[in-house]
Amino acid sequence: MASTFERIKKVTAELLKIDAGKITEKSGFVEDLGAESVQSIELVAAFEEEFDIEMDEDAALSVKNVGDAVRFIDSVLKQKK
Amino acid sequence: MKTRPVAEQEIEILEHNGCTAEDWEKVLVTDGFDAGRIHDVQFAGTVEIGRVDGPAIDLGDGAMRPCGMSAAKLQNVRVGDGCSISGVRGWLANLDVGNNVVIENVGTISCAGETSFGNGHEISVFNEGGGRELKITDRTSAQIAYLTVMYRDNKPLAAKLAGLADACAKSRRSTRASIGDGARVLNCNEIRNVRIGPCATIQGALSLREGTIDSSKEAPAVVGSGVIAEDFIIQKGASVKDGAMVSASLVGEGTRIGKQFSCENSAFFANCEGFHSEACSWFAGPYSVTHHRSSLLIAASTSFYNAGSGTNQSNHMYKLGPLHQGTMERGCKTGSFSYLLWPSRVGAFTAIMGKHYANFDTSDFPFSYINEEDGKSTLTPGMNFFTVGTMRDGDKWPARDRRKGAEKLDQIVFDVLSPYTAQKMIRGVALLQELGDKADKSETFVNCRGIQIKRLLLKTCRRYYGLALDKYFGDVLMNRFDALKPAKFRDLFKVDPAGETGEGEWVDIAGLMCRKSRASALVGKIVDGRIRSQDELLAAIKDIHDSYRADEWNWCLAMYAKVYGREPGQLSGEELKTFLEQWKQSSQKLLNMVAGDAQKEFEGATRTGFGIDGNGDADFEAVRGTFEGNKFVKKLKEDGEKINQRFEAVVPRLA
Repeated sequence: MASTFERIKKVTAELLKIDAGKITEKSGFVEDLGAESVQSIELVAAFEEEFDIEMDEDAALSVKNVGDAVRFIDSVLKQKK
Repeated sequence: MKTRPVAEQEIEILEHNGCTAEDWEKVLVTDGFDAGRIHDVQFAGTVEIGRVDGPAIDLGDGAMRPCGMSAAKLQNVRVGDGCSISGVRGWLANLDVGNNVVIENVGTISCAGETSFGNGHEISVFNEGGGRELKITDRTSAQIAYLTVMYRDNKPLAAKLAGLADACAKSRRSTRASIGDGARVLNCNEIRNVRIGPCATIQGALSLREGTIDSSKEAPAVVGSGVIAEDFIIQKGASVKDGAMVSASLVGEGTRIGKQFSCENSAFFANCEGFHSEACSWFAGPYSVTHHRSSLLIAASTSFYNAGSGTNQSNHMYKLGPLHQGTMERGCKTGSFSYLLWPSRVGAFTAIMGKHYANFDTSDFPFSYINEEDGKSTLTPGMNFFTVGTMRDGDKWPARDRRKGAEKLDQIVFDVLSPYTAQKMIRGVALLQELGDKADKSETFVNCRGIQIKRLLLKTCRRYYGLALDKYFGDVLMNRFDALKPAKFRDLFKVDPAGETGEGEWVDIAGLMCRKSRASALVGKIVDGRIRSQDELLAAIKDIHDSYRADEWNWCLAMYAKVYGREPGQLSGEELKTFLEQWKQSSQKLLNMVAGDAQKEFEGATRTGFGIDGNGDADFEAVRGTFEGNKFVKKLKEDGEKINQRFEAVVPRLA
């Protein structure tokens, strides 16, 4: 199975309609990838669907870049187990 | 005013001072009349003059106005005590002037035949093609207007309400205009068939015809320079200034119109603001605001509304005349250059951005965002609940109530979270669930009542509403606890005898949220003829307003079981604690999300352009301040601490 990072990259690229190759762990969702406020919550929802998890809204929305998202989702997945 | 014919000796003085009269026998004066203070005045018909031996009047502009009259023409006029009248280029005719009034440099102020001074004038509000006509009076409140305009299917009601307005208008009918005690009428052109209330200031108006300017010492009305108004009612504490053009419209208490705003067939209720832009058939409920040029508010019904610059609506695309109308429920905002094609109905506290050509109904989705995405109208339910704007608005409206009179015509409930918005969210949750159950994972959007919702967001938005409902029900419990301070928390769970009981529906009657059953009962009373005047109707509406808290409590008691599956009275101490912990968490989460929204104003792109020659961050902070130091952000933190304190205070009483 693809890594958390790869899956986040795929979901983010699809949702924001950008080239997945340009997404790195350092990419900021707003500043670098251009996510607007509604798209930020769409991303959270898309990650929830992709990973079949539920995330705390305010904690999830405080995640600023892809690397943080990887760590956040991994921690949620770990708790789920 | 006890008068006597002007004496021979006084006539001599008057004539010596350049005064003439059609018939000196019809010039009547009171004791305290000083003929030496009347110069160059032409009298015609019956003219009664009060005392003119009073002190000069200070208008605060550095020039004291002597009590008396000069350079004026009066025909069938009654002048009270202590007035200063000068420079009447036309005539004062068929007019009653109160005490201590100043009239200076004006054209004709007159009454031409019998009139009701704008009272009873029918305006085509909300639907410019007619069918919802409102007879405006100086007693028309937002609620009276709402019942008149919105409940047209109830023909007996419409007839009775029209009758009450007619009766009010009839009581105002006269062949004489009036200027109330302490009013100032300065530098105006024509004022015809206008009743001017006490302490009003009319300064520089170009033309006022067929209208009432209601006013009082506590809540004086102002009409300023360049104003042209016809068939109008201006209520207490309102101001209409700076080249505004008002045609067939009502300007409610504390409302401010100015800066070349123009309106027709519109009604603005308490504390509205209209500057620069244009309104046509706008039902502007309390706190509806438009400040910018190129905004056209047309055939809309709003309250607590803020129009961004270039906001436009249209009711075209009709074939049989303009029929289309649109409702934006309380608390909506339209972003810059947003456009709505009527008919549509927008849920409460919704932010609308972009241009929308679809006809949608989002009334069961309050606190939402409506965006334009690739030409489609999309809805994000619940998202606006977590924004700075909504929270700030909720705080600011009550603080900005400009109505200063003892009596307030409009009855307003300011709450952002209320049974009205809660019932909508409960319906919204059910709708989102239903949509989610039916949606296929391959779908990007689902359609709901004419608008697109991202399938991915159905679950998220349901959670948003859940969070808001947790906060609301918890707030109501905690507020009740704080107000009654019972020894045990569960002692709260009693029906309030002052309120109606059960899960009934709520409505928002132009700023007054109430149980629909109360509105229906009121309608019944009107139809049955038990309400015989607009004043009695205003009193009955105030009674509904005063029942809000008791009704809210009883509704929440009834709805708690529906939302949470348990009667609140049956909860154990531990279960109560769990619920209140949930309230605490939801409230904190809300504050965190609002703080997150506020933080956006301090980071990234927000700083673009600061530090024009370098040192951008320092420049930004010098101008904008820091996130941590921001007053609103500090208040959020304080609110968070208060939530914890309230929770801790209640825990020992939960057993």
